[in-house]
Amino acid sequence: MSGEEEENAAELKLGEDFVKAKCLMNGEVSLILDRRLEQLQQLSEDPLNQMPQVFEKSLQYVKRFSRYNNPDAVRQVREILSRHQLAEFELVVLGNLCPETVEEAIAMVPSLKDKGRGLDDEAIEKMLTDLALIKSSSSSGHLLKKLGFGLASL
Amino acid sequence: MFFHIILERNMQLHPRHFGSRLRDKLVSKLVKEVEGTCSGRHGFVVAIMGIEHVGKGLIRDGTGFVTFPVKYKCVVFRPFKGEILEAVVTMVNKMGFFAETGPVQVFVSNHLIPDDMEFQSGDTPNYITSDGSVKIQKDSEVRLKIIGTRVDATEIFCIGTIKDDFLGVISDPGAAA
Repeated sequence: MSGEEEENAAELKLGEDFVKAKCLMNGEVSLILDRRLEQLQQLSEDPLNQMPQVFEKSLQYVKRFSRYNNPDAVRQVREILSRHQLAEFELVVLGNLCPETVEEAIAMVPSLKDKGRGLDDEAIEKMLTDLALIKSSSSSGHLLKKLGFGLASL
Repeated sequence: MFFHIILERNMQLHPRHFGSRLRDKLVSKLVKEVEGTCSGRHGFVVAIMGIEHVGKGLIRDGTGFVTFPVKYKCVVFRPFKGEILEAVVTMVNKMGFFAETGPVQVFVSNHLIPDDMEFQSGDTPNYITSDGSVKIQKDSEVRLKIIGTRVDATEIFCIGTIKDDFLGVISDPGAAA
């Protein structure tokens, strides 16, 4: 086993290397990888062959699990969550998983309830409502697609 | 989780590349050597974003090669113990199921699947609750918690659980019509 000293995301112990790293939401990674794919395609004549598996799997993953379909929504999410004194890691987990209730949010990010945080249930609730607003206004595209599928199968 | 970090690497360059295109050559060599690789410390390097800084080159004694310390920005994927994330199920068997989250594979043992779900073999092996309301099969999306990571030379492998609150199936592929 590698000698990781007590890394534990639930306690926000990420190790020295990642303490200063910027955490990225799936939506943000999706935008970054799209741009990189364009770059790669411009540079080589045979882009499909050149994409390493890691890149391809990551791209598929973030496309599938990004809950916000456009860059503005992604930016708004980060902006809204930034107002609430969250650690980068917590911000991204909440942005990725979009919990609907305070209970769920605390289960996803146990460190929210650390003593001395000063984050009471009301504040968390407000955060989640703000998040839900963006989700509903941006993911209508996704919803339409689902409806479209449903209608086609009738 | 995906992170944006700055890493450093010593790049060796053959003298034939010294010229106006030195920096480009350094960058393309860096990309070729590093993108797609995995280290236990930083996880999988998914994409290199750009060069932060190239240090002074040091000529190696005895050969003409020059070593440049290069600092570069990149996107990495590094799973952490205790992290909760979403994954796609890739294989189901009676020991548990395998799921993929980005470039990393996670195994969830049947001991860490809720007791009310049972394994069903067949054409599409799956785990299913007794009333049939919740099903885990290939291509299902699940939310799981990572409880351990193992690192070998080129891969990170994780163990996960779906037994806690708010974990489990998010969506079924091709929901029953």
